[in-house]
Amino acid sequence: MSEHIGDDAALYALGTLDETERAKVESHVDACDACSRLLAQALDDVTAVVEAGVQSRMPLPASRSNWRRWFAPVAAAIVLAILPTAYLLQQNLAMHRAMVAESQAMERVATSPHRMVAFTGMDAKVMYGMHGSWYVVIVRNAKAPVDVAWMHDGTKTMLGKAEPHGDVALLYLPKSHRMDQLALVSNDHTMAQATLVY
Amino acid sequence: MDEVLSAAFAAKEPWAFDDAYQRYGSLLYSAAYQVLDDREDARDCVQEALARVWRSPDSYTRARGALRSFLVVCVRNEAITRLRAKTRRLRVVERVAALPQEHAELGDVDVIERDRLRAALATLPAEQRRPLEMAYYEQKTHTEIARELDQPLGTVKSRIALGLRKLGAALGGGR
Repeated sequence: MSEHIGDDAALYALGTLDETERAKVESHVDACDACSRLLAQALDDVTAVVEAGVQSRMPLPASRSNWRRWFAPVAAAIVLAILPTAYLLQQNLAMHRAMVAESQAMERVATSPHRMVAFTGMDAKVMYGMHGSWYVVIVRNAKAPVDVAWMHDGTKTMLGKAEPHGDVALLYLPKSHRMDQLALVSNDHTMAQATLVY
Repeated sequence: MDEVLSAAFAAKEPWAFDDAYQRYGSLLYSAAYQVLDDREDARDCVQEALARVWRSPDSYTRARGALRSFLVVCVRNEAITRLRAKTRRLRVVERVAALPQEHAELGDVDVIERDRLRAALATLPAEQRRPLEMAYYEQKTHTEIARELDQPLGTVKSRIALGLRKLGAALGGGR
């Protein structure tokens, strides 16, 4: 009989083995009851993690109440952003489509694995997808639009304005690349910065 | 009933395929979506993975454990393969705007479950949590993880295995 699979059971279940290694595990468990049980346990463990939800990648909040305080205005701002959609349907079909796409994107944001980091210098955060495919900049107590910039290679690329909805300003950015450093800018002066990790 | 379905699936009884799809479809879809982050891709991925399992002789035997967990891992593996092969990502808005319909299972994230997973992850020692996160969430191979963490391959493997078992136990895996 071939070697017992040991830790490879977990790696098999997590999908980190290559084809040859997988085949080795499969052929061994067909002939070894102990390893078969080990593999079954590892498959159950991964399934338990899968079942435990899609947003688990988000960093742990400092406290539950703190997170709730933060979430409420963000949720309210998202709702406020979606509400005008019905009116715009009557006014401008093209704009309506864009708004629908944005609201669906926001829903997707809320249900995707993501991270969130705070800006230093202002009461603001950025939520972003793990692969750099989207970013949402959230600025609290914003009375006016806030410019958002990507800092890279010693240059500043302006990405757009976070528009206030109530006392929260939001900017949604669909992107196809990772951005490591974002800044909030006013009159060409950097007000706050955030370092993103992946 | 799970036992009956597993046996019928292993014996390639046609009704077992439909029944498994009905019973586990949402979970399988979520497993694919968690990796691919794209609804259409996740749908295709589930169909492809199930078709492959069904077409292959002896793909599922009772030695592979519970059918439900076996299918989840098959779908996840298919999703990981697809993700690695992907050369570019389409922009989020374009993809979302093209969607024909919503999926209730995605809009209905169980907050209690999510918090339970966060809490369970937080209890793991960092040396187990980090490689496990890299394997599960970032779909890295154990070789890549060992290289990035600058740790011996055997150490990384055993830490991932230990971390997964603790996490599974905390979440009720293998009940």
